[in-house]
Parts: sequence; C-alpha cells; structure tokens
Amino acid sequence: MRSPSSLKQEFLKKWILGLQVCNSLKNMNVFERKKAIKLSADVAMASSRNGKTCWSRALIANASRNDNGKEFVEKILGSDYERQNKNSTMSRRTRCRKILKRSCTTIRKAMKRSTPSRPKVLAFSVAKKMIKKRTQLLKSVVPGGEFMDEVSLIEETLDYIISLRAQIDVMKSFANATEIENRKKDQQW
Amino acid sequence: MEPRSSTIGPSLDPNALDSFQFNEEIQQLMTVPQENASSFTALLELPAPQAMELLHHSPESKDSAAPAPAHSNSHTVTVDAHHTPYHFPVGANLTFPSNIALIERAARFSVFAENINNTTTDKNNHNNNNHSPETTESLPSNSSGNLGKVKNEPAESDSNKPNSPPPAENKRSVKRKEREKKVKVTTKKSKSGANESSEDAEKLPYVHVRARRGQATDSHSLAERARREKINARMKLLQELVPGCNKAAGLKRLGDKYSGLALDQIAFGSHFIEIEILMPIKKISGTALVLDEIINHVQSLQRQVEFLSMRLAAVNPRIDVNLDSTLAVESGSLMDSNLSNMVMPLMWPEVQVNASRQQYQQQWHLDAHHQPVWGREEESHNFVTPENSLLSYDSSANSGR
Repeated sequence: MRSPSSLKQEFLKKWILGLQVCNSLKNMNVFERKKAIKLSADVAMASSRNGKTCWSRALIANASRNDNGKEFVEKILGSDYERQNKNSTMSRRTRCRKILKRSCTTIRKAMKRSTPSRPKVLAFSVAKKMIKKRTQLLKSVVPGGEFMDEVSLIEETLDYIISLRAQIDVMKSFANATEIENRKKDQQW
Repeated sequence: MEPRSSTIGPSLDPNALDSFQFNEEIQQLMTVPQENASSFTALLELPAPQAMELLHHSPESKDSAAPAPAHSNSHTVTVDAHHTPYHFPVGANLTFPSNIALIERAARFSVFAENINNTTTDKNNHNNNNHSPETTESLPSNSSGNLGKVKNEPAESDSNKPNSPPPAENKRSVKRKEREKKVKVTTKKSKSGANESSEDAEKLPYVHVRARRGQATDSHSLAERARREKINARMKLLQELVPGCNKAAGLKRLGDKYSGLALDQIAFGSHFIEIEILMPIKKISGTALVLDEIINHVQSLQRQVEFLSMRLAAVNPRIDVNLDSTLAVESGSLMDSNLSNMVMPLMWPEVQVNASRQQYQQQWHLDAHHQPVWGREEESHNFVTPENSLLSYDSSANSGR
C-alpha cells in the first residue's frame, strides 16, 4: 500500500478535475451542488485506488449509472475508464464462496441434528444471527459490499476506512483554504 | 611482457576507478559498528605472512591510490597463477611483531582485516573458478613475467614470501565482480518481478493449517478454520484502526481462549458440543460489538464527507476553481502543512522525474568511464539495466587495454 500522503496527492489531483466539471455545470441550488461535490470527491477517491479494490470499482460503477455521475467518471478516470471496466478478477472469489456455502450447509445439517432441545445451542444461533445482521449492515455501508465474502469484506472495509480518512483530510483543508480566500476577498471589497 | 608494460599507462583508468570504489568500501566498513572485539585475534589466527601482508598493505592501498594499479595487475595475475594463494606453510619462521604502532594500525584496520578473513577465504576459490574475461586474457601474457613484476613491490614486505598476494587487492577484484553480479541479479529480479507476482496471484493460495488435538481434520473444516483465522487477523487490524474498539475487543478476547473448537465440532457432529459451546457465544457477541463499532465509524466518516461537501457547497456559492489562487492560499496558510507541502510537487511530478532521468542518461552516454558515474551508479541502481552496465563496463576495460 502506498503512503497516505501520496494517496492524498492522487486524490486531490483527481478531485480538482472533478471540481472543474462541477464548475461547468450551471444553475444548481445548494443541495444539488453538494451532491455534485460529494459525487466528484467519491469518484476521485475511488479512482485514486486504481481499481485495485472492490469498493472503488463498485463506487465507480454506481456513479456511472446516472448520467450526472458518468460525466465525472469519464472526466476523472479518462483513459483508465475502459481499462478498468474490462479487468475483473472474480474467479478466486467464487471459489471462496463455494467453500463457504459448503461449510454452511454442513453446519446447518449438524445444527438441525442437534438443536431442538438445547437452550445453549439456541443462544449460539441467536449470537450467530446477531453477527449476520451486523455483517449485512456493514455490507450495505461499504460500497459494493453485497458481493463480498467475509474475508474480503473486512479487508475492503480496512481500505475504505483509510481512504475515507484521507479524503476527509483533503476536503477539510480544501474547505479551510477556500474559506480563508473568501474572507480575504471580502476584506478587499 | 613488453606489450603489457606499455599498456599499463592507459590501464590506470579502471584501476583508479577501482581504488576509488575501494576507498568507499573501506569507509563503509569503518563506519559499520563492530560488535565483536575478537577481530584482532582473528587477525592473529591468520597465517603469519598473510597477517603481515594485511598490516603492511592495507594502509598503503587505502592512502595512495596512485601506485596501486601497478601492483594490482601483478597481484591478480599471481593469484591466478598459484591456485592456493593463502595456504602458505605456517611454519615459516615469522614472529608476530610486538610493535606498538603496528598494533595500533592493526586495530585501526581490524575491521578491514576481519572482513578479508571472512570474504577472501571462501570467495577466492570462486574467483579462481570463474575468471572474468579480462583475467583469463591477461594470464598467459603475464605468467612468464610474473616474478619480475612482483619484485616491484615496496620493500616493507621483505619478511614475506615474494609472491604472497595482498588480499586487499584481490578482495577488491572479487568485490567488484560481486557487485556486478548483484546489479545483474537485482535488475533481473525487478524485470521478472511483475511476471512472478502475476503468477502468484493466479496460483491458489496454499494454506498451512494444523489441527490441534480434538479438532476436525477433514478438508472442509480445515478450510473453514483457515478462513476464520484469516477473518480474525483482519478483524484485529480493523480494531486497531477503529477507535473505541478496545472495550469490545476485551470481551472478544475472553472468548478467544476457547476459539476454534465449537464450530468444528458442530460441523463434525461429535459429542463435545455441550462442553465447548458457551464460550464462543461470548466471543461472538464480542465480535458483534466490534462490528458495531466498525459500522459506526464508517458511517461517521461518510457523514463527515457529506458535511464537508455541504460546507464546500455553501462556502463557495459558485465553485470557482481558481486553482492557482486557491492553492497559493492553501500553501500560504498554516492550516495543513502536509497538504501545502504536497500541493507543490503535485504540479510537476512527471516533468521532474523525466528531466532527471534524461539528464542521467545523457551523462551515462557521454562519459562511459568517467569516475563519478560509478558513484552515481551505486546510488541509483534502478536505472542500470544489466546490458547497460555490462556494456559500459566492458568498454572501459577494453579502452584500458
């Protein structure tokens, strides 16, 4: 993994491209603008990961579904867009899922055999349900999480958290800078 | 003999080059802290003539680079002529001098001496086995005039046998070859690295799992256990990353002691079920807490992004990306020194890199055997392809001949 500062650089470079697209769009109210800014930031963040992670690919795919986001995606990714659409490495993932499914069925069979009259096992299944619920929630939070198995889900979450932090840092300093600039302009007038 | 002596003048160049590198090596060796104080005793354990040779020769070869080339030619030849240069009879009537100044000097160069002791003894055979083309060429022409050359040695080695080769010079040539090989190997690695990594990615990850006592050993539960261990490792990383996970992790750790048993036994359908099942429940609830924390953290981060984009939208009514002014303000403000630092190189990263590379290659082509190029090569191994380094090296050697 690259160093966080280089990640930030990459993100800022791409985000500025996205903001230029925002600039070209006229006649927006605050909320539309906010949406545009957020979309551009997300796409820039995802593209700065170079399509190596699932969440970034999913984010880009989601963004390119509506036409407004498609503009950002094409602008920010540029020539990489077609390339990233092509490569897909799903073979390993399916294998993992197959193993998972098999093991789940064996567990279920065993549970059926042993569960009926045991409160402890019942508690166990309750706890399992708790985890399942939370995993579902996490999958809905992380972009593209619906298609991940648990191992890659946790990996992707790690990566996603790191990139979110970088994104927030850059956005914060950018907002501060623009605020200061605006204040200076006000003083000048 | 005669053509050889006439070419000594031009062949000064690569040798001077060598001594230049050699000085660097010595300095590196000197700066490296030596932890064992037995280096001097190691010197004592050497055969006496060799030790004498070391003591006498090493300062000279370090200080005066100019007279070195003439010796080095003759010495490499002698090494090739006598295939076992270091196995001198120990019974030669030589006593180790108890001169204080000499001992001091030995202590000063003890690092060096020990290094020689280590490297030359095992690499010398290797050196003799695969000659580089230059030594094999120089051998037939010089084997006859061997003795006459050696007599050119300074008089300080009078107590030694006349043809005992100074290990310093020999080591130098060995080292040079080693370095060349290293460069080759590293560049090869970097070349084939991409292929290898892609191959590794395609290969199925081979998982080493060992079943403890009482654990199931069929392939499914082994795979399942490997998967769970993987998940646990990732979870630990996540816990470190997400603040406030420690409390939840404490609960989880309670259950970790008893981990890895219950699920397997359920899968196996054996009789241990009732005993081990309680603790994993605690573990699982701990895992649930950790997951809660993670979800909260991710959501809060996402909310922060939303808030920031809202703020940006409000701050800049018309997103006027006047980049230069914004970035100038940014670098002027003390808000985020990191960002301001990274904004500046952001503008011309490719240009700078390309420029420096071009410059480098120009110099490379211009002066193939100019001394500082070698130093630069050591600093930046990345640019040196094996073909390049070989070619330039040969050219310098040939021009010397």
